[in-house]
Amino acid sequence: MSSEALKEQPAAETAPLLEMSNVEVIYDKVFLAIKGVSIAIRPGDRVALLGANGAGKSTTLKTISGLLTPERGEVTRGTLTYKGENILGLSPPERVRRGIVHVLEGRRIFGHLTPEDNLLAAFPTRGSGRRFQQLKEQVFTYFPRLRERSGTKAGYLSGGEQQMLAIGRALMVDPELIMLDEPSLGLSPLLVQEIFGIIREINEQQGTSVLLVEQNAAAALEIVNHAYLIENGHVVMSGSAEVLKQNPDVQEFYLGGTGKVDYHNVKHYRRRKRWLA
Amino acid sequence: MEYFLELLINGALTGLMYSLAALGFVLIYKSSGVPNLAQGALVMLGAYLTWYFTNAWGIPIFLGIAVAVVAMFLFGMLTERFLLRKMVGQPIIMIVMLTLGLEILLRGVAPGFLGAAPKSIDVGIDLAPIIIGDIFINRGYLVGAIVALVLVAASLLFFRTRLGTKLRAVSDDHVSSWAVGISVERAIAVSWALAGASAVAAGVMWGAEQGVDHNLAALLFPAVAVVILGGLDSIYGVVVGGLIVGILGSVIPGYVDPLVGGGTRDVVVSLIILLTILFRPHGIFGREDIERV
Repeated sequence: MSSEALKEQPAAETAPLLEMSNVEVIYDKVFLAIKGVSIAIRPGDRVALLGANGAGKSTTLKTISGLLTPERGEVTRGTLTYKGENILGLSPPERVRRGIVHVLEGRRIFGHLTPEDNLLAAFPTRGSGRRFQQLKEQVFTYFPRLRERSGTKAGYLSGGEQQMLAIGRALMVDPELIMLDEPSLGLSPLLVQEIFGIIREINEQQGTSVLLVEQNAAAALEIVNHAYLIENGHVVMSGSAEVLKQNPDVQEFYLGGTGKVDYHNVKHYRRRKRWLA
Repeated sequence: MEYFLELLINGALTGLMYSLAALGFVLIYKSSGVPNLAQGALVMLGAYLTWYFTNAWGIPIFLGIAVAVVAMFLFGMLTERFLLRKMVGQPIIMIVMLTLGLEILLRGVAPGFLGAAPKSIDVGIDLAPIIIGDIFINRGYLVGAIVALVLVAASLLFFRTRLGTKLRAVSDDHVSSWAVGISVERAIAVSWALAGASAVAAGVMWGAEQGVDHNLAALLFPAVAVVILGGLDSIYGVVVGGLIVGILGSVIPGYVDPLVGGGTRDVVVSLIILLTILFRPHGIFGREDIERV
């Protein structure tokens, strides 16, 4: 299926793959990180969550993958359904078995294992040896550089290679929804372009839905078809990538400015409209 | 010269017996990143259970060992389920203290229920030493050393399997293991179960030599020296560390003990721990944390 066709379909017609509705998350019982976030991802979608540091983007991803627990985060309100099933009570591995995989911020590859062992570790225990070879070949086709480095410990790979390995490792579980937290972190613009291109290819060739969290809004808006803007734990804006790119406030605050605002008077600058009506 | 050779050979064999006791420590550390200070008590419990099943049920010793292996396997799983699962994501110092607490608890409880007087396990090894020339070699230690090498080889193979790879991944990063669907809890349970099973081997070999009582738990001390010297996560390190600790712990006391009246072995073992940490904190084969520049 082409992404063009998806973009033109109105949201209401396809049942969402993942639906997060009005979710509130509190860390350590005191810190309110997201305050009623609702997002929906349809099968085959490429969606971005944009926003500044601490806006609640990573928390949203961790809510979906179930990785809030080790950080003592708790969902205190709202619902989370995947293919119509409530998944809030499931452990992270159970969610992975259902097809949701989370590529963590900062890559977090298994540094003392070789790239190949990284892939093997993520491959489900019950899968066949042949399937493992297939998936591994697929990863090496997307990221040929990993094949060249398959003998070294992953910890010695370059940042870009580690990011590729982190994505490749996630592909070993045969996901339906792949969530990427800041894949561009610390990478050169050229490498970011390359990796984002591959993410798009994976989405188009495998039909894997993508949920991309980025501070690099310009790069992200180039490859997604829908985006949510998160500020202070709220979704303040959502729409197709084109619409967001044209929005003057998004241009001003996330795409590097239009030059129309006089920064000496930035204190007095008012947004044209309030985000939250 | 014969005296030196005898000290050397028996020291090497004792060292491999230490390796046997230390193997469980490495199995757990290498697969979940937890330093298990309850290892001494696990060895003691393995020996106690073997003795108990063999005598209370009146079954042959090798059947008793098999039952004890199963029991310790389950004990390892339960340890994860009821103690360690609560600790996922907690600071490592809390987990260390937890295993230390378990060690102290077991040291009290096992002799308490099963009897504090030393018991004997007979695995059918002739007590008479093997005599080569003028050198006396302890048969029990020889068998123990062979058992140690066999289990070490089995562990090496295990970590190459799919399950073993997952366990190594878990020791690297709990959260990212979780994120790609590895059940961290189950991996930790498996590592404790395997450590429990290997502790039976250590408990039986040591118990056959020196009797089964709470003193077996004191093997924790040389076992810790072995893993610190060899590297906390290295299977090869267990063998090399064991040999060094065993040989130094035999040769040096062999010459110094008569002069100072005994007790040098503990000094040697503790010096090995201190000097390793000062000069080579990761041990001989231990992995260093990879820092990319």
